[in-house]
Amino acid sequence: MIKIENISFDHCIKCTICSMYCPVSQATHLFPGPKASGPDAERLRIKNPELVDSSLKFCTNCKRCEIACPSDVKIAEIIQNAKWKYLKIHWLRPRDFFMSRTDLVGGIATLFSRIVNFIIGLTLVRVFMHVFLKIPYRTVFPAYEKTTFRRIYKKELKWSQSGFSKKIIYFHGCFVNYNNNNLGREFVKVMNALGYGVEMKKEKCCGVPLIANGYIEKAKKNAIYNISSLQKGNEESKIVATSSSCAFALKNEYSSFLELDNSGIADRVEFVTKFLYNEFLSGNIPEMKPLGIRAAYHSPCHLERMGGVMYTLGVLKNIPGLELIVLNSECCGIAGTYGFKKENYEISQSVGRNLFNLIDKAVPEFVITDCETCKMQIEMNTKYKVLHPVTVIAMALDIK
Amino acid sequence: MIYDCLIIGGGLAGLTCGIKCASHGLHTAIISGGMNSLHFSSGSIDIAGYNTKGEVIKKPFEYLKTMVKENSGHPYARTGIPGIKGSLNFITEKLSAEGITLSSNNDFNHFHITTLGTLKPTYLSQESVFSARVTDIVNSQQKIAILNFKGFRDYYPEQTAANLKKNTLFKDTEIVLGDISLPYYMNTEKNLHEFRSIDIARIFETERYLPRIAEEIKKASGGASAVSLPAFIGVNNYKAIRKKLEDMTGKFIYEIPSLPPSILGLRLDHALKNSFIKLGGEYIAGERVVSGSIKKDQVEFLTTKNSGNIPVTSKFYVLTTGSFFSGGLSAGFDSISEPLFGLKVKSENKRSKWYSRTFFDKKSHPFLGFGVEIDNKFNPVSESGKTIKNLFCAGSVLSGYNPVSEASGGGVAISTGFKCAERIIKEIKND
Repeated sequence: MIKIENISFDHCIKCTICSMYCPVSQATHLFPGPKASGPDAERLRIKNPELVDSSLKFCTNCKRCEIACPSDVKIAEIIQNAKWKYLKIHWLRPRDFFMSRTDLVGGIATLFSRIVNFIIGLTLVRVFMHVFLKIPYRTVFPAYEKTTFRRIYKKELKWSQSGFSKKIIYFHGCFVNYNNNNLGREFVKVMNALGYGVEMKKEKCCGVPLIANGYIEKAKKNAIYNISSLQKGNEESKIVATSSSCAFALKNEYSSFLELDNSGIADRVEFVTKFLYNEFLSGNIPEMKPLGIRAAYHSPCHLERMGGVMYTLGVLKNIPGLELIVLNSECCGIAGTYGFKKENYEISQSVGRNLFNLIDKAVPEFVITDCETCKMQIEMNTKYKVLHPVTVIAMALDIK
Repeated sequence: MIYDCLIIGGGLAGLTCGIKCASHGLHTAIISGGMNSLHFSSGSIDIAGYNTKGEVIKKPFEYLKTMVKENSGHPYARTGIPGIKGSLNFITEKLSAEGITLSSNNDFNHFHITTLGTLKPTYLSQESVFSARVTDIVNSQQKIAILNFKGFRDYYPEQTAANLKKNTLFKDTEIVLGDISLPYYMNTEKNLHEFRSIDIARIFETERYLPRIAEEIKKASGGASAVSLPAFIGVNNYKAIRKKLEDMTGKFIYEIPSLPPSILGLRLDHALKNSFIKLGGEYIAGERVVSGSIKKDQVEFLTTKNSGNIPVTSKFYVLTTGSFFSGGLSAGFDSISEPLFGLKVKSENKRSKWYSRTFFDKKSHPFLGFGVEIDNKFNPVSESGKTIKNLFCAGSVLSGYNPVSEASGGGVAISTGFKCAERIIKEIKND
């Protein structure tokens, strides 16, 4: 039986506008485009699941098709669903397993971070990964931190948070915990400047990399864990995430894709810039000093899909002395773990090229973006350092 | 952080309004749910193509002089003829800065050839659709070639030729039909039947294959001095590509708009969006406004699909949500409504009066003339009868004109969008 809410493919008028804006079908003819893979093929798949096409694996799930669609068809969702419902996985995938277990791998790697960072930088190891794990040689993995953000929080930050009357719950995500502790510190600094104390609940990986690699059951387990953990106590406080993809999963994908009940948290989850925008709007703007920086802003695909770009821009425009060049909306091509796979490397690079050219043309001092994997991709392919909006605010707070 | 001007809908009207506002330094944003109808359009701008009897209008502005006197509810009556001209000059200048040249036949309309091979009157076109050279080729009845990409299933040159032959202008013209193909390219890639205009445009855009394509054009055109192709000779650098092809073949290259996605329309869309963003405008794609809250005679805030409990606010709002397809108007069983604000709509109550029994009726269907009622200041009226002073309306959400039977959609979108921007700029100055 088809569920009535899943027939959005029937609203497709076959205008092909989605395929026009698909960065993957622009980069390769191996992917027939979102219209053909999504609403067109869905009719056939409903009739006979055997009619699934292996080209589905080329979809990065960037959701630009959904942004383009004039008829509000959930094209990326249809493709994503079909991919893992029908596509039989025949091969053993140690690489995909480790790539999608960001919290497991991160937890171990941070314990031995110096050794791990050293090893994954070695030419020999990179050749090995290229040949045996199918991870492209030119990939530069983000370095692991010496410790986790949670440990830092417990040791250095927690004691001072009870002094604030207003509270928010921070969903830090794996990247802050294992790869970018500083963003967590900066987040706490910014929240404190706004008069909010930061609390944390127990959390597991939000599930985005698991979904992207087809580990749907494991993603569901994580989601159920996160929903129940975030629901405990503090019913009023907002749950704020600094990762746009984590926020999108908690707020939308848990219910729309994993079909779980997240109603207890969905309304409370906010991506950080939207939370800040609302605070700024009500007059709660911390004292910031002029930065004197020229930066280019790249809008991540998933943030666009969430309608979040206007909030980030609104927040950034409030930072004094920040000359902002807003780049035309282009996909960076990394799409989470997609670009870290050898079979996708060329496509990923080809997709990102437009953005890299735009950045080079803008000649900024920094690039600003909300998403951690966009950050990795841009730093791998341009000479610029990429900052999170929260980092930029923290910089403006720090100036004496 | 409140916007000066928030535009709901990112089509031709919304973009025109946005560019004008942003060029005056206003903090402007456009919220656009899905891509606009330029993607379905011919890429030419119509002002007024047909009169009420369905006859072709030769000089649109002259016709409008009398029309606006007789039809005071028409959007053109509110923008005024100098208003239309001013807005067109503004937008052609902006497009030209982005590399798109639109030209007119002085004060006259010109024809463009449709996919089916019929002729449609229009006012502004890209150089591959209208130029002095085109007039010359048609008038001197030079031999023309109508070509297609072999296997491209969205276009049939035979049909174009057969319909053109029925027209007196082409009665005595010799028409050659033919195909061009790229066997080497096709062997390595996917099935050509899966190609849409955009895929072929991308082949042209690589420029790698242009010498080969030029050879194919020469071979297929049988000595004709002018060659038509479906509009797929590139999106962003189409000018350079066309120039190269013309130099290599020694022939004039004409473009016929293809089925959606329309490349001719896409060029305008890209250019307008670029222009808007360069001026500091925020183009928010993929977000949908779901409702607007009205308090007394003012819009208080908007709610979008993702805004939750954080209201989206602006000093002024512009409604350019389009007609039925884009959801700007909504049809119930026997009522037509404006879904975001519940504005007063001009329509017929009886469903049987919405449409004509003949599909291709010269007078078109009445429902195409339905829409929001506005006053001379472009403000709409709420359900309760109050004029909403910080909301303006433009484009095909408006009532009082029929874009299909009049061939006036582009002109109305640009001139009303522009006028709304002028009103807002004036109000903000007075503040």
